[in-house]
Amino acid sequence: MKTKALALVLALAALMLFAPVLGAEEGLTDTEIHIGQWGPQTGPAAPWGAVARGTGVYFDMINAKGGINGRKIVYHMFDDAYNPAKTKAGVKELQESVGIFAWVGGVGTAPGLAVEDYLMERKVPWVGPAAGSMHWITPPQKYLFAVYPLYFIEAKALVRYAVRHMQKKKVAIIYQNDDYGKNGVEGAKEQLKVFGMDLVAEVPVEITDSDLKPHVMQLRRSEADCVLLWVSPKHAVMTVGTAKAMQFAPQFMSTSTCSDYTLMYKISNGLWEGVICTNFGELPDSGSPLMLEYKEAFKKFAAKDERWGTFFLAGFGFAEPLVAGLMSCGKDLTREKLVAQMEKLKNFQGIMGKVTYKPFDVNDPNCRQGQHEVFLTQCGKDGAVIPISGWMEIR
Amino acid sequence: MLDFIQSLVNGIAAGSAYALMGLALTLIYKTSEVVNFAQGEMALVSVFMTYLVLDTYGFPFYLAFPAALVFSFLLGMAMEFFVLRRAKNHTVLSMIIITIGMEMILLGFVSWKFGADPKTMPFPLTPYDAFIVGNIFITKLETLTLFCALFLMAALFSFLRFSRFGLAMKAVQQNPTVARLMGIRVKRVLLFTWGASSLTGCVAGLLISPIVMQPYMMWDPMLKGFSAAVLGGMTSLPGAVTGAYLVGVIENIFGSYVSIEFKSVVAFAIIVLVLCIKPSGLFARHHVKKV
Repeated sequence: MKTKALALVLALAALMLFAPVLGAEEGLTDTEIHIGQWGPQTGPAAPWGAVARGTGVYFDMINAKGGINGRKIVYHMFDDAYNPAKTKAGVKELQESVGIFAWVGGVGTAPGLAVEDYLMERKVPWVGPAAGSMHWITPPQKYLFAVYPLYFIEAKALVRYAVRHMQKKKVAIIYQNDDYGKNGVEGAKEQLKVFGMDLVAEVPVEITDSDLKPHVMQLRRSEADCVLLWVSPKHAVMTVGTAKAMQFAPQFMSTSTCSDYTLMYKISNGLWEGVICTNFGELPDSGSPLMLEYKEAFKKFAAKDERWGTFFLAGFGFAEPLVAGLMSCGKDLTREKLVAQMEKLKNFQGIMGKVTYKPFDVNDPNCRQGQHEVFLTQCGKDGAVIPISGWMEIR
Repeated sequence: MLDFIQSLVNGIAAGSAYALMGLALTLIYKTSEVVNFAQGEMALVSVFMTYLVLDTYGFPFYLAFPAALVFSFLLGMAMEFFVLRRAKNHTVLSMIIITIGMEMILLGFVSWKFGADPKTMPFPLTPYDAFIVGNIFITKLETLTLFCALFLMAALFSFLRFSRFGLAMKAVQQNPTVARLMGIRVKRVLLFTWGASSLTGCVAGLLISPIVMQPYMMWDPMLKGFSAAVLGGMTSLPGAVTGAYLVGVIENIFGSYVSIEFKSVVAFAIIVLVLCIKPSGLFARHHVKKV
């Protein structure tokens, strides 16, 4: 008797536990879609936190236009301080208490890696991680759609330009000693190999380092004529400055993460002039109709002291494919349907490069890597952006 | 050889900022045996306030910097008066925990008020102009920092060595109760120490700020300053400064010749080594505590 009662109670408890999952999609009601994102608002990587705030303004704009097939987006953003442990705790908490239908963006390779398995096991879609890491697509995951062109690709594009168009003979790299930096090293090496060359120096930097002199000395010793900066904006500026103090003047090139020229020019007191960076989206001052619409939304919804910069805008860009996918699902939305619709996106054009996905194939990483295009710009006087190449498709 | 000399110079250049932080930490430790973990963030607040009056209110530089020093002195005294003095339990451990708490509060305040975008302090010296002798270079800002560190060390050292106040400080450290019985205003000594220490930290912060200003900019100098102070025995001002230059030089030579990847952990290795081998530091004149 006693065991029967216990079994009954247990069965009931189990039923209650699974009831919401069985009943409807997690994070979805008739009037709301819950979408989450993390982003560092404090700590060393905080300048990149603008991405998560940008997405918020984008969703405000979508909601103001009537939402997605009658549902409003409810946006949950939290500060993980670029600390993977905090990312994991925050994601779990939101996922298991509020219930999140899908995740979008999310700055950083290491924070993203900390939650990738968790989200994939629960079959929660995640679109547009705000980091160009190879990890998102090797192997590809059914529910993970990458947008950000790989750092790997960016490095290839820069090296190609340096060797082909600028006749550089000795390429070196200074890189953040984590996945972000190492992806850059890998890409640069692969492209140099094509030209029968190799990196003349590979110098790692820790994110908390406050003195880069030995690093720059190592670069100078290699007599590089082109140096790739795969580091945070602060370290990029310190490298360029220290090199100037040492009278070491190679061509500096950097990633999209340091392509916010207004900011970079200001904090470097003008030393950033002449640096070449990769870009993955339309420039903030472009006059395309879509950009003007976003700018209106920025004026209307953004906080008073927010800046219309590259990272903020990227927050729009990473969320665009997700919104396009959700829109095309119609009223009866499910996660499986969203995935199916995302797979149909072909040459989708927002403010980033063209985004294309393909039906899921474990052996084809590109089925989940949306964008393959970047273009190069050079920093001009007062942080002016000078385009020096068209869109380059690189695989 | 040239590279080696340059590494030495780099180490000394880097050591100056550590020296200032080390001095600031040592001052407080000397009187109260409290390691002030909020040291870096106290400087941070002063630096960002300076930025505020310079950049937002357009105050001229020659007013803003002295004002910053006064502000930091008051901030230090306020920390002692409003926070530490109110603590119910005056053990060293609880004091240290309070300073860790204050560190987080101040860091949060700066992150919230000023945001995370990197900034640079408008400063008459650009941080990357350098003196070049032969092939050896040192930036003008580093030279200035070096002089500030040595000057403050000399000033604080002679003040504490030759003034009655310095004697009072020593008495407070060794036995607060007896010091009070001897007519020393213990609380006032502590108040002043906190002010002076905050000011020293602020000088360090101001000299770092032309390179980059971010909420976490003081972490690294603070930790290095701490290892410098440990190396110098925690109670000796010249010890902290010497320790700082040693840390700077060892770090740079290690980075250049052994492994650049592990350069940033050298300072911590030094702390561990010193605590294991000679816990009283290189400049030991530490009294042995009778339990």
